[in-house]
Amino acid sequence: MAGFIGTLRGLAALNGAMLRAGRWLGILCMALMVAFILVQVFWRYILSNPLPWPEEAARFLMLWLMVVAPTALRRGGFVAIDMIQLALPRMVGGTLTLGLLLLSLLVLVVAAQIGWSEVTGFSGKFKTSALYYPTTDGWEKMPRSWMMASLLIGIVMMVSVTVELILRQIGIMAGLEDQLPIIPDTDAVGAE
Amino acid sequence: MLVWFLPLFLLLLMVGLPVFFALLAAPGVMLWLNGQEKDLVLLYRNTYNGMDSFPLMAIPFFMLAGEMMNRGGITMRLVEFSQALVGHFRAGLAQVNILSSMLFAGLSGSAVADTSALGSMLIPAMEKEGYTRKFAAAVTAASSVIGPIIPPSGIMIIYAYVMEQSVAALFLAGIVPGILVGTGLMVVTNVIARRNGGADFPDLRRRATWPEKGQASLKAFFPLLTPVIILGGILGGAFTPTEASAVAVAYAAVVSLFVLRSMSVKDLPDVLLKAAITSSVVLLLVGAAMAFKTVVSLSHAPEALAAFILSLSQNPIILLLLINLLLFVIGMFLDAGPAIIILGPILGPIFVDLGVDPVHFAIIMSVNLTVGLATPPMGLVLFVASSVSGERVESIARAILPFLAIEIFVIFLITYVPAISLAVPGFFGFL
Repeated sequence: MAGFIGTLRGLAALNGAMLRAGRWLGILCMALMVAFILVQVFWRYILSNPLPWPEEAARFLMLWLMVVAPTALRRGGFVAIDMIQLALPRMVGGTLTLGLLLLSLLVLVVAAQIGWSEVTGFSGKFKTSALYYPTTDGWEKMPRSWMMASLLIGIVMMVSVTVELILRQIGIMAGLEDQLPIIPDTDAVGAE
Repeated sequence: MLVWFLPLFLLLLMVGLPVFFALLAAPGVMLWLNGQEKDLVLLYRNTYNGMDSFPLMAIPFFMLAGEMMNRGGITMRLVEFSQALVGHFRAGLAQVNILSSMLFAGLSGSAVADTSALGSMLIPAMEKEGYTRKFAAAVTAASSVIGPIIPPSGIMIIYAYVMEQSVAALFLAGIVPGILVGTGLMVVTNVIARRNGGADFPDLRRRATWPEKGQASLKAFFPLLTPVIILGGILGGAFTPTEASAVAVAYAAVVSLFVLRSMSVKDLPDVLLKAAITSSVVLLLVGAAMAFKTVVSLSHAPEALAAFILSLSQNPIILLLLINLLLFVIGMFLDAGPAIIILGPILGPIFVDLGVDPVHFAIIMSVNLTVGLATPPMGLVLFVASSVSGERVESIARAILPFLAIEIFVIFLITYVPAISLAVPGFFGFL
């Protein structure tokens, strides 16, 4: 049992650190998105000289907001109808929750496999239209895979979070609730 | 075979699988059972492509602008302004609550933000004046649904994107319905206060003097300018809705940081993070909905559903009544955003084929599902109002019934009088 709790604590600590880094990246993405669109507004409407890159750069950053989605998943912020789970007897409801978590994991694992083949495959090799990065030989157009990797990374992080949630659920059903590591800021982060 | 993915989806949803996973699992399982494993990659691609959209960026920006406006003094200024205008009416503070919700709706597109921002301030104030807590919480919850109806509105942006409509047209179409809901709530409040004989209602307040009104207007000037900038910018052709939303963020930041000083630079990471977290969930939902939409069209489910609906009646008036009932029931269990994402692609084309204007149908759906946010047993704002006020959900759910009655009446008005929704966008040439 100590091994189980130890594993869960280790995974929770790993996820905690990973999600914290994701949240800071999300904050940065959000701030830069606003800045880039304001740059676009200024150049287009005030200077009448539209720039080619702000829109694509802002979309790039919006896609990378995916790195904060696992935080929402961990805090119970994914919209769901949980009436039946709550209404059922404790063990039955718990088993249903566990089943749903396993199904979520299946969806995420399949998505991660497809995501990997997409990022490393043909469509990832295309270039973005207006984004460049510096190399020793000058500026290179950014590959589309850098944008596409956002969803893949978000999904892989969600796989790790879902495994933690599954272990937690097993712990709850085994009566170890008081020994489980606490998830900070568990709240409702809904779409509304 | 593939047509079975819809019942499977509903089953997964009802047993509690998060909407995002259900949107992918149901079509995924059916494609797999149908021997179309290769098409699973389409689900992934459409999810990604569905999120990779410039118009969708308005959602994180409006959330961010609302979050900034929420911090500190801006809500207070709107309440003071409402107080100066309607504070002397019968059940004055309840009327202030409703008018504040209407004004707040012009800054934020969210009913939850409205309930938590106004509720935390007005529910204790109303209790202090002698209103019952359940009545105060019910008024707050009922009026908060105006948030996503009056522009800007998160759900209208989602609807416009998923259904390929103009965001500006939907924003404009929401103005009159939003005002109607607000006015209806004010009338009901007045009737309740009169019938009650003043037992649970405090005495009338004195009317604000003109200098007091002027001062309150001046203090609310900057917050109230936000909807003018957003709508004016879009309608004047100056900005796209996404650009207008970024300008709204910049304006909210300048007003909150430097003019009203209601927020400090230290608060910024937290504000940005809150908007980022909510936006990431919405983006995933919209992406998954776009993937779901592809399988919806592959499965011929809309044709089967349309045939079933048309077998019930061919009369659009009766069908609209049935669809309102369906939406109302769904709204009781599911948030407006996900419900629009799921139902829009299925129901929209059926009614457009029957001759209902797409913008009109968008408003019927949005208002109906938004009112669902305040209906028992699962209305999200009821739970928020309960946590803000400390009152039990069941008591708020009972106290909210008269307000829901008028909201349902407004839904019927909107349904059967298309001009309520279409006059304003028509006037501005969006139809």
